[in-house]
Amino acid sequence: MSPQATGPIRRAIDWGKLAPLRLRARQVAEGAYAGMHRSARRGAGVEFGGYREYVPGDDLRWLDRRSLLRHERLIVRQFETETDRALCLVVDASASMSFRGSRAPGAKLAYAAVVGAALARIALGSGDPVSLTFLGGGAHTTSVPRSVGHEQFERVVAALEAAEPGGDAHLDTGMLEQGLQTLARAARRGAIVVLLSDLIDLPPGAAERVAAIASQGRVLVVVQTLDPDEIDFPFTGNVRLRGLEGGAVVETDADTARERYIAAMQDLTRTWREAVVRRTGRFVQASSDGDPVDVVRAVVEGIR
Amino acid sequence: MTFLSTLALAVAVLVVAPYLAHRLRRRRAEEQPFPPARLVEPSAPKARRRSRLEDRALFATRAAAVLLLALLGATPFVRCSRLSLQRSGGASVAMAIVVDDSMSMRAAAGRTSRFERARDGARELLTSAREGDAVALVLAGAPPRVALAPTSDLGAAKRAIETLSESDRATDLDGALALARSLVASLPQIDRRIVVLSDLADGRPDAPPLGEGSPVPVWVALPELRVAVSDCALMTADRSGGRVRVQVACGPGGTAAGRDVVVEDAGGVVLGRTTLAAGAEVQATVALSSDTVPVVARLLGGDAIAADDVAPVLPEAGRGALAVVADATEEAVATGGAPIVEQALSALKLEVDLRPIPAFPDRVEDLGGDLGVLLDDPPGLTPEQRHVLGTFLEGGGVVLVALGPHAAAAPLGASFEPLLDRATSWGDTSSMGADPASATGELVESARSLADIGASRRATLAPEDVASVEPIVRWTDGAPLVARRAMGRGEAWLVTLPFSVEASDITLRPAFLALLDTWVRAARQRAAPKRSDVGTPWRFPGAHVVDAQGPAGPVAATQDDAVVKLVPPRIGVYRIGVDGKTEVRIAAPDARELDMRPRAAASSTSGSGMGEQRARVDASGEVALALLAVVAAEMAMRAWSRRLRNAEVV
Repeated sequence: MSPQATGPIRRAIDWGKLAPLRLRARQVAEGAYAGMHRSARRGAGVEFGGYREYVPGDDLRWLDRRSLLRHERLIVRQFETETDRALCLVVDASASMSFRGSRAPGAKLAYAAVVGAALARIALGSGDPVSLTFLGGGAHTTSVPRSVGHEQFERVVAALEAAEPGGDAHLDTGMLEQGLQTLARAARRGAIVVLLSDLIDLPPGAAERVAAIASQGRVLVVVQTLDPDEIDFPFTGNVRLRGLEGGAVVETDADTARERYIAAMQDLTRTWREAVVRRTGRFVQASSDGDPVDVVRAVVEGIR
Repeated sequence: MTFLSTLALAVAVLVVAPYLAHRLRRRRAEEQPFPPARLVEPSAPKARRRSRLEDRALFATRAAAVLLLALLGATPFVRCSRLSLQRSGGASVAMAIVVDDSMSMRAAAGRTSRFERARDGARELLTSAREGDAVALVLAGAPPRVALAPTSDLGAAKRAIETLSESDRATDLDGALALARSLVASLPQIDRRIVVLSDLADGRPDAPPLGEGSPVPVWVALPELRVAVSDCALMTADRSGGRVRVQVACGPGGTAAGRDVVVEDAGGVVLGRTTLAAGAEVQATVALSSDTVPVVARLLGGDAIAADDVAPVLPEAGRGALAVVADATEEAVATGGAPIVEQALSALKLEVDLRPIPAFPDRVEDLGGDLGVLLDDPPGLTPEQRHVLGTFLEGGGVVLVALGPHAAAAPLGASFEPLLDRATSWGDTSSMGADPASATGELVESARSLADIGASRRATLAPEDVASVEPIVRWTDGAPLVARRAMGRGEAWLVTLPFSVEASDITLRPAFLALLDTWVRAARQRAAPKRSDVGTPWRFPGAHVVDAQGPAGPVAATQDDAVVKLVPPRIGVYRIGVDGKTEVRIAAPDARELDMRPRAAASSTSGSGMGEQRARVDASGEVALALLAVVAAEMAMRAWSRRLRNAEVV
């Protein structure tokens, strides 16, 4: 079945029990937000914030020469910044995110929207600017430029509600490229980039390219959003499965294929996790039937 | 084809029904979206595999069932190569089936042998027989035999056919037809016929057409058997020292040129080999490479009959010998030379060796190779000689004793026991000669020459001895001139005149030569022949218990005129137990069977009105059985499938 043929069923997000987004986002944000949070961003500034290991991409001006001479290790000095912490939300709106299994309360894109909106509310509540970028998506899927204030939350929520899943990241290699270029322009030094995606059907090398965002003082958090059916492969007997991107159709005996599928999915997750962590990023795996509060809390923890 | 048959066959169109049901039943797994489908490894699902196999097998059986059902409804008649009887007006039939079981019938006829085809033909004929018909079975292998006397019990006839087996006998079709005619002649059925199942290869291709002028209609069926083929046979294999001399004979048109003959031991190890030259009858010598005892000779290369390409190896057979005890000084003719009895035996050209000995031996082994012993007026026998004589007679030897003056004047202690219990006397005779009318057996014709025999004196047997002998020719006064007495397996012949020309002129009479010829023939018949043609009866006069083990198993002995007889049906070695003693005999191929040209058959034997070879057979029974088997197979398949599914659920 071609991607065009599946278009009508992808026109809107299957919100399920996650609607309405605005209300759910507030609940999630309130559940995860614990009082005022201070800007924990470390980087260029005047107030010393400690040391850490050098990673490629760090500004060589902050290399601690004394530590290098004394311990023969590359250590950089960190300073608490006084600049704002921009939150750049990147939401995967490709076709695969429209999937909703039998046990999930909504589509993966809906779940990602709830988490993203909650994060936006938290950031905006702290006075940090928020931007929203989509990977793929339908004709009515529009990004939201960086801004602050209550209106920005409404704009982000409206954009998330209006998003239409679409696009084939497997065939359209330019989709990821375009998204990353947009992000590179929007995310300044010290920005927090949160990618909400199932990481499925992305082109080869996507993990390394996405992890490279974590350079130049940016913080990267990758939230792998999967449907519970994609995690434990609950099918039995003879099944005929059609991928939503790439046009793959597979007929198999589910009982015998389950073990190999789970192993392949774990390999994919491990690849992404290692690539992101190697760049001091954070990797969070979320199941769309889980509590989004836990996911938001894990993201916030990762940022700190 | 009738309308109903056409209608029934139209049901065959329903064969598409199982196919449609099969197609409707087959379901593919429903497609469902699953984004990470690329990570799922495709496989041939077990369920689909099983479904495919099961469905196709079920489909095949159901389609076959529908087709068979349609065929059954059409009540098909199949025209096939099958013998069947025709009867005029539905009357019962008396039928004698002549089955040729000769060696030529062992040649191939398609996938099977000619004999098997003939036996199948007999079965087919019985299938078309019905209650009230009488059936007899005659075998045409020489000598012709009755395998089943006329009977209306068709079950017994079928069982008799199943017991028939191949043999290597010669063919005697005329004898078999005569036997068959005699069997059906006395039957009450008006419609009588003889059915011949033979290749007609009786070695006489130029003989008058078979069945010509037969009072009982003859149907020579199975014309496909009448094909002339060539065959060669290994007739003899005689060992002489370190060589084996083989004789190979071929039928008309056949040649063994270029074929090899090998001699093997008991373990199959080849001891020698030779290549045959051209010719219808070839003799060759195979030099043995070792001292191992050769057991069998084989003619390599294929021909029509393989059974006659093997022959057991025997020590070279001698011609046999006759021991003659005669007094040369008294019995020599005036011109000199050997005694007159020896000259007479030589003149008969009996192909026996004469062995003159001065006196009857007193050791048993001294008579080991002799067919018989002739004693001319012996002066009695010592106790040792009498023991040897008794043993010789018990073992099948034949003795001819001419009684004269010396026999009557036997010294004290010398007698003719066990031939005669009393002493003989030698005295004047008033009788002028023999009574030709008293002659029996083969001396009937020549006894006239003894009517005026010139003898003034003769030997006289004691009355007790006269009662124990069988006179063959009597004097005119009734006293025996030539008499015979069976003793054990042997026989003693007595003549009451010596063979000296001084005593009588009996030796100058033609009857004397006839007497010698008859006696030698009797001696040969009783001597164990080491090799004879297959099918030639072996007689064991005087034997009580005879059992034989042949190449194809035990061979039953029969009684013929109080003489035990045994007919070897197959080529090969026979171990025969005669009253506890074991002897070995060989049955060799009959050269007539190598001529496989069929004899002509009379035009009246084509079977017109008696039977047909391509019969219309109702195949409904077979079709119904096949339908039953298919339905049973389908049920078994479904049960098996259900059990398999239950096992999977567990």
